[in-house]
Amino acid sequence: MITTPVKLWRRQKNVAGLIGVTGQILHWTIIRVPAKTFMNEAPYPVVIVELSNKQRMIGQLVDWEEADLKRGRKVIAVLRRSFTADSESIITYAIKFKSL
Amino acid sequence: MKINILGTATTEFGELWKTSPRELARVAIQGALKDAGKRPKDIDALFVGNMLAGIFGNQANLGSLFCEELGVNVPASHVEAACASGGLALHNAINSLLAGRYNTVLVLGVEKMTDSSQDEVTAGLMAAGSDEERQAGVTFPGIYALMAQAYMSEYNVTEEELAAVSVKNHFHGSLNDKAQFRRIITVEDVMRSGKIADPLKLLDCSPISDGASAVVISTETSKNSKPVFITASEVATDTLSLHDRQSFTTLSSVVRASQAAYKKVGIKASGVDVAEIHDCFSIAEAIATEDLGFSKRGEGAKDIANGRMTIGKGKIITNPSGGLKACGHPVGATGIKQIVEITQHLRGEAGARQVRGAKIGLTHNVGGSGAIAVIHILQN
Amino acid sequence: MSGIIGYGTYVPKYRIKLSEIAQMWQKNPDEIISGLRVEEKAVSALDEDAVTIGIEAAKKAFAMAQITPNKIGCVYFGSESHPYAVNPSSSIVGEYLSLGNNYFAADLEFACKAATAGIQACSALLDSKRIDYGLVIGSDTAQGKPHDVLEYTAASAGCAYILGNKPSEIIAKILEMSSFTSDTPDFWRRDGARYPSHFGRFTGEPAYYTHVLSEGKKLLEKSKLKPADFSYCVFHMPNGKFPRVAGKKLGFTTEQLAPSLIVDKIGNPYSASSLLGLSAVLDISKPNQKIFFVSYGSGAGSDGFIFETTPNILEKQKKAVPFTKQIENKKYISYPSYLRHTHTF
Repeated sequence: MITTPVKLWRRQKNVAGLIGVTGQILHWTIIRVPAKTFMNEAPYPVVIVELSNKQRMIGQLVDWEEADLKRGRKVIAVLRRSFTADSESIITYAIKFKSL
Repeated sequence: MKINILGTATTEFGELWKTSPRELARVAIQGALKDAGKRPKDIDALFVGNMLAGIFGNQANLGSLFCEELGVNVPASHVEAACASGGLALHNAINSLLAGRYNTVLVLGVEKMTDSSQDEVTAGLMAAGSDEERQAGVTFPGIYALMAQAYMSEYNVTEEELAAVSVKNHFHGSLNDKAQFRRIITVEDVMRSGKIADPLKLLDCSPISDGASAVVISTETSKNSKPVFITASEVATDTLSLHDRQSFTTLSSVVRASQAAYKKVGIKASGVDVAEIHDCFSIAEAIATEDLGFSKRGEGAKDIANGRMTIGKGKIITNPSGGLKACGHPVGATGIKQIVEITQHLRGEAGARQVRGAKIGLTHNVGGSGAIAVIHILQN
Repeated sequence: MSGIIGYGTYVPKYRIKLSEIAQMWQKNPDEIISGLRVEEKAVSALDEDAVTIGIEAAKKAFAMAQITPNKIGCVYFGSESHPYAVNPSSSIVGEYLSLGNNYFAADLEFACKAATAGIQACSALLDSKRIDYGLVIGSDTAQGKPHDVLEYTAASAGCAYILGNKPSEIIAKILEMSSFTSDTPDFWRRDGARYPSHFGRFTGEPAYYTHVLSEGKKLLEKSKLKPADFSYCVFHMPNGKFPRVAGKKLGFTTEQLAPSLIVDKIGNPYSASSLLGLSAVLDISKPNQKIFFVSYGSGAGSDGFIFETTPNILEKQKKAVPFTKQIENKKYISYPSYLRHTHTF
């Protein structure tokens, strides 16, 4: 399982600290054939982002348009819902990126 | 002490619905023993390379399991390094010989992937990546696609030039009766195939396959008329995540491991006659060709597109088996299959695929997006 | 004395035109649009929910209020679309906003007035000085049943208010508050049911109008003020027609009501509706203006407030992008995309 309640809980502070941090896209791709848990979300872009604190992250790009898929595009980290194994499992919230 | 290859064998690779992992292993093990002129009781230890048995089949304890297919209980271990499981199992086996612990050992690479659905496989393969990558919903095609984006923009390489990798490997695969795909394809075929993760398309990606390969190595000399030796076995690791790397257009683990291997043997990259390269995706081979020193930076794809690595045309022939793309990629087996293929060439037994006068061969086996690289050099 | 010290609004990027929905069901778009007086509604992205939207709004409220998160003494999260039936949105939000551990918290439900009930509770805690600051969020990804009339207006958005009791920080004082409550089953959703149910025209006169007008009259009597004493009025907006009728019946002019009518542009985001209307008004208010406010929640009840802006509002307005500007960042989607957005998770 990618996320259990314990893992989600352990990551909270780290995730909370990332919401609202800005950065820029280094590289992008569009996932059209996803892994099982992401079945319903495809196609979606995944981007490697360099944050303002020089840390690098990988994440989905949300609320996207073609024009956003560019090296250097400014983005902001937001909290969004992610895959959930089924209707009874814990809901996963994860950092994703949105074009500024 | 010389590491002698006594015998090799491989099953065909493909969607082998009727064949269980045990049967795959049995065919490869029996074939390698026969080729080596050995019996099960001559084997001192068994090394098994496999990635997904635990994830898909809920099966661990593979050392003991495959001893049952060998037919004798010997010291046995399971080695895992994602898609480099086979290569790393061989590396560990060689170390056991060098340590004087065993004299003759069998290394088995085996993988059963078609018992699971496509989306389960895509998810399972992500075990080779990092937690962050899994959470981001990226897949392995996606990770290599990110590399492709970086590579194409940095070196002005086109999708058509990358497609040439698959075209070459399908041509080679058409000459290999063990290959999953034996049909010739064109650059247009690749360009027309559906996108998996932009810019990589279906025909840029290696398939989901079943298969097993085995090799018997020993401190004792081979009775073959053209004995083959493993003269270097080097491993290097790097960050698990792609985004933590310094560069997205090179796998530094490959550079380090191959340079250590060349140094050990006392050759330059240009000394290699034939190589089996880990082309999980077309971009992987383009970058590997440069990381291994066969091409200048930025020119790997172009060299391949110009036929510089093609059987009958090129100087350093790469992926004569058809590579992962055309021969197939049962992940744990690939590293050993590469050894089987190179051994054929060095013995002069590769038939239609034979690289004439091959004296030095290299295998390049990678786990994940470059988190681990295993390089072997073989000579006759 | 307690009041608002900061607020934040968030509307998802996507919109669907009512004409698009009408065409799906082969209804006359003009008839629908003129009847409801709404042109388009806001649709959440497929990975947004009331919690993620609430966090976006709250982040903006903090940016305006300029207080450190761990000073918040209470969190009340009102919604009809809490992601969990059991597992509080208020604490999830509290964690991701880094509020620490020292706050009163609860999730509220009272249809579209869940969050305004939260303001009442928060105000009481502030007035009694049990806390220094409080956070109230109204956020919804409203569920619209395909082919039902509510499909045209059920929308997604969120609004957050930070309240305090220091006069130097308050931008809008709460002068008066009261409620009018009854058991009136006009609109409901059973546990486990995906879509709400309603009883058509019963949601009008005996429900919305009875409660809004009764509470409105009560506020005016209690405060001894007349409609003309107010600069603005804000009502809950299930559609574009109801608040216009309610305002008129209570004696307010169209000019007093107009700035609050967010429904025209984004539809009805349930718990966020009246609060977003208030934000739109606060965006343009001058100091020392009185604002008349009555929310409505089915089931049923109305929460009434009389706010008075202070000179502090001018500085705080500069820290925010006005609601009318924010909603300009939008993208229209088709009916199939709308179904995908609202039914993936």
